[in-house]
Amino acid sequence: MLTLENIHAGYGATTILQDVSLDVQPGEVVTIVGANGAGKTTTLRAIAGQITPTSGHIYFEGRDITKLAAHDVVDLGITMIPEGRQLFPDMTVRDNLLLGAFRSGARSVQNETLDYVLDLFPRVSERLDQMASSLSGGEQQMVAIARGMMAKPRLLMFDEPSLGLAPIIVEQVFEVVKKVAASGATVLIVEQNVFTTLQSADRGYVLENGEIALSDTAEALLSNDHVRRAYLGI
Amino acid sequence: METFIQVVVNGLMLGGLFAIISIGLTMIFGIIKIVNFAHGEFLMAGMFLTWLFTTKLGLHPYAAVVVVAPALFVLGGVTQKLLIQPLMNARDEHIQIFATVGLSTAMINLALLIYGADIANTPAYGLRTPLEFGPIRVLEGQLFILGAAILLVIGMELFLRRSRTGLAIRAVAQNRTAAQLMGINVNWIYVLSFGLGAACVGMASVLVAPLYPTSSNIGTYFVLIAFVVVILGGWGSIPGAFVGAMVIGLIDSLSGFYIGADLREAVVFGVFLVILILRPSGLFGSKQKLSHIS
Amino acid sequence: MKHILSLGSPRTASWAAPALLATLAALFITPVVIGDAFVYHVFVTICIFAALSTAWNIVGGFAGQLSLGHAIFYGIGAYAGVILMNMGISPWLGMFVGAAFAALAAVVISYPCFRLHGPFFALATIAFLEVFRVLALHFRDLTGGATGLMIPIKMGWEWMVFRERLPSLIIAFGMLLLCLAVAQWIRSGKLGYYLVATRERESAAKAAGVRTVQVRLIAVAISAALASMVGTFHAMYLTFIEPSSMFSLSFSIQIAMFALIGGIGTVYGPLLGALLLVPLTELARGWLGAEALGLHGFVYGVMLVLAVLFMPNGIMGVLHRYLQKDDEDEETGQTQAAPVAAVPRAEPEHKMGPEILRVENLDKHFGGLHVTKDVSFNLREGEILGMIGPNGAGKTTLFNMLSGFLQPDSGKVTVSDSAGNFSAPVSPADFASIGVGRTFQIVQPFAAMTVEENIMVGAFYRHPDVNDAREAARETAHRMGLGPWLNAEANGLTIGGLKRLEVARVMAMEPRILLLDEVMAGINQTDVRRAIDLMLSIRDTGVSIIAIEHVMQAVMSLSDRVIVLNSGEIVAEGDPQEVVRDPHVIEAYLGKGFADANS
Repeated sequence: MLTLENIHAGYGATTILQDVSLDVQPGEVVTIVGANGAGKTTTLRAIAGQITPTSGHIYFEGRDITKLAAHDVVDLGITMIPEGRQLFPDMTVRDNLLLGAFRSGARSVQNETLDYVLDLFPRVSERLDQMASSLSGGEQQMVAIARGMMAKPRLLMFDEPSLGLAPIIVEQVFEVVKKVAASGATVLIVEQNVFTTLQSADRGYVLENGEIALSDTAEALLSNDHVRRAYLGI
Repeated sequence: METFIQVVVNGLMLGGLFAIISIGLTMIFGIIKIVNFAHGEFLMAGMFLTWLFTTKLGLHPYAAVVVVAPALFVLGGVTQKLLIQPLMNARDEHIQIFATVGLSTAMINLALLIYGADIANTPAYGLRTPLEFGPIRVLEGQLFILGAAILLVIGMELFLRRSRTGLAIRAVAQNRTAAQLMGINVNWIYVLSFGLGAACVGMASVLVAPLYPTSSNIGTYFVLIAFVVVILGGWGSIPGAFVGAMVIGLIDSLSGFYIGADLREAVVFGVFLVILILRPSGLFGSKQKLSHIS
Repeated sequence: MKHILSLGSPRTASWAAPALLATLAALFITPVVIGDAFVYHVFVTICIFAALSTAWNIVGGFAGQLSLGHAIFYGIGAYAGVILMNMGISPWLGMFVGAAFAALAAVVISYPCFRLHGPFFALATIAFLEVFRVLALHFRDLTGGATGLMIPIKMGWEWMVFRERLPSLIIAFGMLLLCLAVAQWIRSGKLGYYLVATRERESAAKAAGVRTVQVRLIAVAISAALASMVGTFHAMYLTFIEPSSMFSLSFSIQIAMFALIGGIGTVYGPLLGALLLVPLTELARGWLGAEALGLHGFVYGVMLVLAVLFMPNGIMGVLHRYLQKDDEDEETGQTQAAPVAAVPRAEPEHKMGPEILRVENLDKHFGGLHVTKDVSFNLREGEILGMIGPNGAGKTTLFNMLSGFLQPDSGKVTVSDSAGNFSAPVSPADFASIGVGRTFQIVQPFAAMTVEENIMVGAFYRHPDVNDAREAARETAHRMGLGPWLNAEANGLTIGGLKRLEVARVMAMEPRILLLDEVMAGINQTDVRRAIDLMLSIRDTGVSIIAIEHVMQAVMSLSDRVIVLNSGEIVAEGDPQEVVRDPHVIEAYLGKGFADANS
């Protein structure tokens, strides 16, 4: 479904990603884990069209999307739920959700999608007419995910969904991620929270200093010595 | 007492004028986060166009809006596309400031080159006729300006709150990154917004031209007032700009009458500085939007 | 913007000094040789504009505060000179009276305005300019109002007014040299580094002990005084002044524009800008006369727009890029391959001293959020205190209160000085002066500076002399394993390099207490091990450390004691091995996965 081939990317003179290749199959939950600054977010931003790789190719359902503008990537059905929620603070939750359905493929069915999404997130439906900025961190993360779902994405990408949330909320977030995956969406998650993420994923890639250091099934990674040493301090 | 009422009414009329020239400025800032230092020169260009339209075609200046507003829309859109867009990610703010300052300098002097230092008087078509309401006198054109300002504020608010494009514009204004993630073409929204802001100036210029003589440096005077109004009303807030304009109109009129005509500008700018320094979010702005102070 | 804004690069190109001298000599000799009155006039005007622009650049370039009201100071100088001359006082004296007034006005105006950023600072300066203009129009008795002021007819050196042209050129040229000398002196010294550091990252500058408001006020006062002195002379040269030309916005814009086109933030850029643009204008005016009303302004505006779009670093930037090609062979030697090992640490025998930092009952709210709840702990001399907790637990907020960047709602932080007396510092500068140094979680390099210059900003804290500071910075850099990149742009470092730079800058301040905010985040395994060694070696020199860290490996092997923060509260404190087995900690931070994997 999604394939990255030898991607090099960075900001200005700084190269962050070096020769990153990975793929995501339809219906899979794939995760990219790694430390802060390893290049996880940069990978997602390259896929989302927010930065253009200096070399390499990105294919989505057979189409080369390497140089596509961000809004065109969204139109193809790739939606990213950004790090730190990034809601529209001075808008109601409802307006936030409706903006989620802005892409051409989702606009015409936005009311049906809204019903479906609110079913999935009952807590969000209680907050529809509140300003987004008045929600707690956990609620905001739920709205951000719900907003991502509103786009009826073919591929849903999560950037650090657990960031800044209490562990108990993190657990709920990953429950939701599982629900999303169960509904048939393909999911790509980037996380620092290595264990929790690998527990909810099918496959994983370990990114270190902008390079793919390991890739395997989630189970295999969980018992990998290097992963245990580097990310758990054991 | 009658004098006082007259002074207050004059203030409100001035307020209407200040409002209509400030709406575009505050809108462009609110969405693109760019202070357009060439705003006054957009007004000047619109006024010259109005003058040309009325004197060459012999039509009522208000009719010029069908030409001037679209022309300024294009001018604004092009400015965004060619000048601001390439500089949006400049690390240093001074680059963006110099860009519009340079545009302003070029436009003033271009007008000077074309029309010289002379004043261009747009035919008034009775708009300078005083109307008398008991002891109070106002100019017909001033009433139109006030009315248009109110309509423009309401219209813009409706457009931004109710339409789908308005929703997208507000999304871009509040969170550019997230808006992009929703599939909104952010650069196009910027071009559109700059164009719309400039078109508001176009509308203002057909209303102002019959009342004020047009010259190459007319923009400098008005733009400073517009900055004051926008600071007072809170950057980016259209209704705020309207209220701010009324306040400044009243201060201008009252200080001109009671303190002295030659000092009223000092009073207005004094108020501006006090607000800018002590309450940079404006009288009505919320504290969260203080992106411009540390 | 990178290279050209760099401060005195240690390897200034060999062509620079002769080229500069030749330019200056030509500036003086050309009109003398030609002897034509108009040519004299053009060159005097170049000198005056170049001098004004150089003075402006101290504020607009070095300090990055974009003033569009600099004509205020020029105007003050002009009026002071003429008014005093009318009272029979020589402009040589009036010049200094004007400069004093201008410096005073600059400080009074700028102090409240410095909290405004970019365009808003520019707007405020425009508004002040308007106020000055209106006041100059109003107080007719003093200024002559709109009719303006003529200088009395008094000739000779004493009065700065001459029938012949040469003396005016000598004075104008002298003024230019003075402005250039002052700008060069500022740029190459501590003040220049502090100004650029403040411009690039105000909070990092504060953490490096820079009193950011104070240094900018000094810059603005010097700049205003220079502009005012030029204004005094220019008034004598023009023989007539009026408010609308003295306090003019377009004049202020021109001053700034020459600097931008020449190369903003460089010492000689403004001179180049004026050298290029003034003759253009004056010649156009001379040839086309009144017909070309507006032509020079139009050209200026267009040049400004083009410069901003295609040459944002000005002529100096272009020159630099062009000449850089010759230098490239030298530069490419510095790759960022394998990091050099840090100096290995001494034997791990250390004993802790008395308490050095006390934190008592800190509380902090952000709006409705209670981010720090009754946090108390202390730190002993030579101790490494690890601080862990989930994102959003309030760790960084706590650091901000331990370094003066935030004031707690209640509670207090006291630090002992080297003599053991406790006091309660308030501002970041207070904390720096008592020996508390901090790093930032999100690295804050001074982008326009090299690695060496970045560290020098910290080193100036103990070594006011540039050469001493450079020496100290180099030594620190080598200790931190940054030796090979001394002359590299800070921006070009890898994340690991930037983290080390962050620590190096603080270490150069020779702190007694070091607050490290996630300095290991995002660096690879080898670097983590090196960083651990580095920290232990820092500790062994007697420095106490509090480290916020997520890398558990580091926390476990470094810390003498660990504090766990969750939702703004300390939920556990003690020996690292015990803390990781605490069920609260496992629940709040480490997760069951950690416990399972660890068991």
